[in-house]
Amino acid sequence: MPAGSRRSQKPGALDSCVVKPYFADMAAVATPAVHPGIQTEELTGSSTELETGYLVICWNDPINLMDYVTHVFQVVFGWERRKAERHMLEVHKLGKSVLARESLEKAEFYVHQLQKYQLHATMERE
Amino acid sequence: MKFIRQYQNAFTFEVSGREKSWLLAILKLFPLVPLSHHRLSKTTKLPDQEANQRLLEESLKAQRDENQKLVLAMLSETGRFNPCASGFRFDLTRLEIEWLLQVLNDVRLGSWLALGSPDLAQEDQLVLNAKTLPQIQRMELAGMFEMFFLNAVSRAG
Repeated sequence: MPAGSRRSQKPGALDSCVVKPYFADMAAVATPAVHPGIQTEELTGSSTELETGYLVICWNDPINLMDYVTHVFQVVFGWERRKAERHMLEVHKLGKSVLARESLEKAEFYVHQLQKYQLHATMERE
Repeated sequence: MKFIRQYQNAFTFEVSGREKSWLLAILKLFPLVPLSHHRLSKTTKLPDQEANQRLLEESLKAQRDENQKLVLAMLSETGRFNPCASGFRFDLTRLEIEWLLQVLNDVRLGSWLALGSPDLAQEDQLVLNAKTLPQIQRMELAGMFEMFFLNAVSRAG
């Protein structure tokens, strides 16, 4: 299911959409042939963790050296030097660069990695 | 300071006696950046933001503790720096260079924060006096060593 449509519904709203028609047809069946465990997990799992709507951003600061920033991008993201330099220059000239668009967990991971090298990195909701 | 060679995973460097004492003095300063300096998010309210911020600080602390152990081991290791004609030679693995870069940049950033985070492009923002001079020296020395190790890694490919 696209993340956008799930976002508009409250928890439980989806249950009523999916389950109600099913039970209406199968009202006489003693043991519904559904897999509540699987379905429940899918419906109640934190949607924010599953969506890819978090931007990993590196912000400009006057202290981190340009070569150092390029090196860190290469190490953390596995980029080749040219791509890392392009993002470094974006940080330097535009004040910030979006380095990745990820799920909550992955974005957190990347921010942790960048901050271990003392870069000014944050994650922002898209 | 000279990058001598890379053989497999070992990078060999040569430093003078003075450079060695500078490097060790810089490493002894670690850590300088407060854990609370880094924020997970700048603008947006994230889900479980406080818990995630705590997680970030715990993760940074674990990394810092690990780096500190490595620094202390390096400082106390007797065979690390071997005397040669023009000073000392020492070997570092690629992994050791990575943590050394993290440590050096902590000292650089921490010194800059202690100076009040001046814009280094604006000359008038960096006031040179007896109080700021040691911080400026640390900041510049840490940066110099960073560039030295980065050049070696870059040259080695």
